[in-house]
Amino acid sequence: MGLGIGLALADSSVVTLALPDILRQFDVEIPQVAWVLTAYNLGLALAAVPAAYAARRRPRAAYAAGTIVFAAASLVCGLAPSFGVLVGARSVQALGGALLVCAALDLLTAIDGSDARAVRTWATAGVVGAALGPAAGGILTETLGWESIFLVQAPLALLTVVALVGLQARPVRGPAGRPHIPANLALLLISGALTAALFLLVLLLVDGWRINPAVAGVIVTVLPAAAIATGRVAHRFGGSRTRAASGAVLIAGGLGALGVLPGSDWLWTVAPQVLVGAGLGLSLSALTERALEGRSPQAVHGGWTIAARHAGVVIGLLLLTPVFTTALDRNEDRALRAGAAAVLDSSIPPLEKLGLAQDVLAIVRASDREVPDVREAFVDRPDDEAYRSLQATLVSELDRAVTAAFSRPFLLAALLALAALIPIAWSRGKVSV
Amino acid sequence: MKAVAFVASCVVAVALVATYVALGGTSYEPTPVANPCAPRPHREATGNDERLELVVLAAADAAACRLGVSREELVLALRSVDELDQLAAKEGKSRDELEQALRDGLVRAVGQAQGEDLIGDTTAGALRFAAEHLPLGLLLDVLRRASSILG
Repeated sequence: MGLGIGLALADSSVVTLALPDILRQFDVEIPQVAWVLTAYNLGLALAAVPAAYAARRRPRAAYAAGTIVFAAASLVCGLAPSFGVLVGARSVQALGGALLVCAALDLLTAIDGSDARAVRTWATAGVVGAALGPAAGGILTETLGWESIFLVQAPLALLTVVALVGLQARPVRGPAGRPHIPANLALLLISGALTAALFLLVLLLVDGWRINPAVAGVIVTVLPAAAIATGRVAHRFGGSRTRAASGAVLIAGGLGALGVLPGSDWLWTVAPQVLVGAGLGLSLSALTERALEGRSPQAVHGGWTIAARHAGVVIGLLLLTPVFTTALDRNEDRALRAGAAAVLDSSIPPLEKLGLAQDVLAIVRASDREVPDVREAFVDRPDDEAYRSLQATLVSELDRAVTAAFSRPFLLAALLALAALIPIAWSRGKVSV
Repeated sequence: MKAVAFVASCVVAVALVATYVALGGTSYEPTPVANPCAPRPHREATGNDERLELVVLAAADAAACRLGVSREELVLALRSVDELDQLAAKEGKSRDELEQALRDGLVRAVGQAQGEDLIGDTTAGALRFAAEHLPLGLLLDVLRRASSILG
């Protein structure tokens, strides 16, 4: 059942590394392709609470129905003939995912025999799924194509229905009570900030620095590894409020560092990823536990945490994507002038300069809100030292411009993580900081 | 322990950001583009291609200086008359002003190159004629394919 929860929550970020391929296949732009993520997260945010209310009456049937819808929609995503069908299927997939995840919380209580243990298992499966998503998606994209992400998860999700065999879960009755607003608000802000780490970092590596998606998938495993490692020792950091606050600060620090990267090399992203991963391991499970603490029925409050987390992802995407694309446009113009100067001052044959400068310009213009690849301008040109050196200069100029374009959204995301400290401080309970 | 954990998180977060800033993390500036009005370092020209390049770049510098744009922006706009019109609109100039700046820049660069014995009298005369009399589209074409003039 943990696999089912992990799959459904990993789906909020699993296609991140596949976005450049999807963008090219369907010939769409960055703001549009972000809807492959937005549709799923928006669907989860809107459906989670109603799904939780539905699941509390018949959790077994709700889990089975949710899993079947999720798996069927995954198949449609994998075989989608157009971008519209893909986004539509992602919305349906989210409905199934919401039902599956919320019903699982009540079923885990029946399996574990303890509310607290069920919450821990449920929260951990969610954190691991969300953190591992980009890496798994990247490796699948590179080895089998982006469609395989969806085609592989359909049978895996259906496999988890086996867990229902022989399982007795009583329907949950009685009023649900009010959600824990501060914990859910903090979850929303932290999730918005994490969007930057999972979505923008992958875009920076694959589209910005042109790193192979499979390699990028390996690079971003630093983040889930740090999350899992920290999660194992999280209890040593104190109560849920201290863990949540420490996690928010670490996420803000990691995102702040990503906003001021000193160079265009993936190694610079390792330390920030460790901080973001550690913060993720500390804060998400702590806030989820806090939101569910002493609240019954749990599925409904679990639904609220899912709604808060995925609303945060949607807000993060809607807020950060335009900031990024605007900064990219501005920096590209400045880099283009510097690149033209490099061409005119280079040692390539003089009569080639004007043509090359204009070919580079055409590539940048044609990229239209994507990160251009100026290496294309050199494909049909001589492979000698003068051209190689000029190409390296242009690529470096563009790399620096692109890296700087990511700066503002990362810093904005760091502010979102810091803002989560307000509801964390506001949340009731003994002061532990 | 609880306070220590939170304070340690703050210290680690601030330390990483401060280290990255100290290593130059906030200092993105594109490689500066030279002022077209300032003299450029003297370059030796050995072949016809390089001589023509010097003339065209000097012409671009002179025209860009007069228009108040960078040489690079002007060179990128030489792609077509439409691109030149877009540059003129962006800079708040008329097509006539931009065209005249280009023609005057070329005449001036040709005179300079002739004075420095970079090009002969025949080539200078042909280029000067092109600068003064050819329609703009044709002039741009000549500048792009001018090797034959020198050849």
